[in-house]
This record gives sequence, structure tokens and C-alpha cells, in this order.
Amino acid sequence: MPESLLAARAAVGDLVGSQPGAWDLAGELPIALLRKLGAQGLLCAEVPQSFGGLGAGSQDNGEFTAYVGALDSSLRSIMTSQGIAAAAVRRFGDREQRKRYLGELTGGRLAAVGFSEPGAGSELAGMGTRITADGEGFVLTGRKMWVTGSAYADYLMIVALHEDAAAAVMVPTDAPGLRIEKIPDPLGCRAAGHCDVYFDDVRLSASAVLGGGGQSLQMIFTTALTYGRMSIAWGCVGILRACLQAASAHAKKRAQAGKVLAEHQLVQRHLAELLVAERSATAVCEQASRAWDANSAELVVSAVLAKHFAAGSAARGAASAVQVLASAGAQDGHVVARAFRDAKCMELIEGTNEICQLVLAQHALSSVD
Amino acid sequence: MTVDQDTAPEALDAPTVEQALLAFLAEQIKTEVGLDEDLFGSGLVSSMFAMQLVVHLEETFDIAIIGPELKLENFRTVTAMTALVLRLREQQGAESDA
Repeated sequence: MPESLLAARAAVGDLVGSQPGAWDLAGELPIALLRKLGAQGLLCAEVPQSFGGLGAGSQDNGEFTAYVGALDSSLRSIMTSQGIAAAAVRRFGDREQRKRYLGELTGGRLAAVGFSEPGAGSELAGMGTRITADGEGFVLTGRKMWVTGSAYADYLMIVALHEDAAAAVMVPTDAPGLRIEKIPDPLGCRAAGHCDVYFDDVRLSASAVLGGGGQSLQMIFTTALTYGRMSIAWGCVGILRACLQAASAHAKKRAQAGKVLAEHQLVQRHLAELLVAERSATAVCEQASRAWDANSAELVVSAVLAKHFAAGSAARGAASAVQVLASAGAQDGHVVARAFRDAKCMELIEGTNEICQLVLAQHALSSVD
Repeated sequence: MTVDQDTAPEALDAPTVEQALLAFLAEQIKTEVGLDEDLFGSGLVSSMFAMQLVVHLEETFDIAIIGPELKLENFRTVTAMTALVLRLREQQGAESDA
């Protein structure tokens, strides 16, 4: 792991401290903290040093993501969004755009990413958001829903139709015609700033359209989602680590029926299964990160597998942790209560369990004649 | 990396790239495609496969495909992808020699 990222863990731990419970209850993250982490390149640590980033590999950024995910899944969600935007800029932006936007994304500016629409979740065919050429620039119309981090963002990276293809565009959040409506009381990652966003003839300069547009909608989606899936998978490893720690610590000190919880075999079973979940989710994420770092074509399926396995494991593990802590953890803001709600949402985002299963089944079927 | 670093860019010609692409497509999508068949318009390419295709081209032919090069037109057919690969090999080979 780069020295900077290793040292960053302690610094982030200090900055976050005991605040995540309060962030969960308030439904808000301190934006100054986001900008501070952003300016250190920590929200998208894989950006190369030549663009002002930390140049971390997927493996190292993954471990860092798990560390933050164990502290707070809302903050980790912000990292996921910023990282997706950076990955898309790296892949689809031209030379000038890469320099400009990657500099900004590692300089304290924040980006959110909009895919889903009321008529288009995992099914791309229903997408209605579109850019149309207009004079020197473009006009954007449409809407996106559940855009993580958009309450804090300076840019929204929006996936839109463009002629008979597609484009990823960087929309400044102060652009006229853009409306952002916060989603009240989300089930999980409550402080992640989810909003619905509306584009009513938003005018964009040509330089906002990454690579000039005209790219494959499928490629844009999969590039963005694959980074997102890696980040979520590692974030779920963090959820499992936080749950394992909280459940073990509680079981060791809380006495029941004359002995500590840890002496009850049914409680031990929960701890054993949490440990198995944490170790196996870590192994699956490491495998996917190796494929990512090697730029192997396997990485696309590996990312789906890692996300699906880690999210399911985190959802089950968080439920076990709540079971072990019982009344001690059954209150919003508590680390296991947050984990329980946040992990459930990870089974929905960036491909639901069911969509992941369809992709994985297809992969299994395609490997036989 | 499947391309020998010492191999000059000239060592690859269009038929070689075409054959490699046709073989990869046949293996991955279980369909024999024609050189000029529209892979995206025909629904043969899934969203998962589109990115695998880019990564496979980069890995196999030692090129980087970024920015405007990701235009859909460059990937529609085997012929278009072959032209892209040969052009990027020449450009990027020249850059790394410089």
C-alpha cells in the first residue's frame, strides 16, 4: 500500500472519530470533511499521480475503502461515487478533460454519478435522459433518481443518450435548469446525500461531454458500474469487520445467566459465521482486485461476483451482529444498527442481488457448449 | 501480457487481428459473426461484454483505448475494431519509441 494511503487511515480515523452515529441520525455528512478528504486525493485514490492522485492500485484502494466502510457507509458511499466519476473520466475523457476533471476530483471538488431513472434501472432501454447538440454546446433534458452524494456535489456525472449512442457528461450543480431534491429518510447510508435530480434544458459546454460523446451506452454503464461494484464490495468487507468487532467485544463483556455471552455456544456460532463471512468476502474482493490491477477481462464478472457475495454476506452478518447485541445495538446510530440498514441497501445498489444472479448464471452458462 | 515487447507494431496485419477478434467473439458470445456485422445493433453485445471487449483488446494488442477512441463506431464491427487496433498500435508504438 502506498505510504500516503496507509498513513491516511489513521488520519481519517481521527477525523471521523465517534461522529458516524450522529451523522446517521442527522442524515448529513459535514461537507468540510468531504472536501478535506477530497483535496488529499482520498475519495478516489486510484487516480494516477500524473493527474494529481495517489496512484493506488485496486487492492490497496480496496483495503482503504474497507477501512472507511467499517467506520461509516455513508462516507464510503461518497468515495464510491467520486471514484466512479474519476474512473469514467479516465476512460472516456479526452486528454484535456482528464487533466482538468481529475485535477478537480483530487483537489477538493466533489462528484456524484447519475444512472437510474424511473423507467430505467438495470434495464437500459428505458433511458430517457438525453443531450442534444445546440450551437457550440449541448442541451441536457431528463431526470435521474437516487443520485448518491448529489446533495454535496459540485458536479453530477450523468449518463445520457446522444444521437444513436450515449455520452457521460459532467454537469456543474450550479447550472441553470438543474433541480436537486433530497430524498427524505432513506433506509440506509442515511447521510450519503441521495437526491432526485431534474434537468430542464440544462445548457452545457462542449467540454462537459467526455470524449465528445457518441460512445456505447453499454460501455459507459459497465465501466462505471464495475468500479462501483468493486468499491461497494470492499465497503461491505468493512461492514463485516465492524460487525465482527462489535459483536465479539459485546459477547466478551456482557454477562447473561451467570456467564458472559461468549460462553454461550449459540452466540459463538454467530461469531464464527461472522468471521467466516469477513474472511471469505475479503478473499473474493482480493481476487477481483487482482483481476482489475492486471486489466484482465475477467474483472467485469469478478466485480459482480465480489459485490454480490460481499453485500449478501454483509446483510446476513449485520443481522447476526444485531442479534448478538440485542437491545444494546437496536437503536439508530449504533454501529450494528447502521450496518443492518446500510448492508441491506448494498443488496439493492449497482445491480440488485437478482440482477447479479442473472449475470453470474449467464457467465456459468456461457462457459459450457 | 500476450504481446512480446520486442515485436514491432508492423508485425501485426489486418487479417491476423481479424482472426483473433473473430475467435474471441465466437468463444465469448457463442455466435459466428461476419466481418461487417453490426455487433451492437444486433443485440449480440451485452453491457457486460462491451467492457470485456475493450479490456481484451487492450490486453491482447498492448494498446490503451481511451477518450474519443471509445466512439461506438470504432467497435460496431470486426472490421472497425481491426482498424482501431492497427491505428492505435502504430500511434502508441510511435509514442513509446519517441
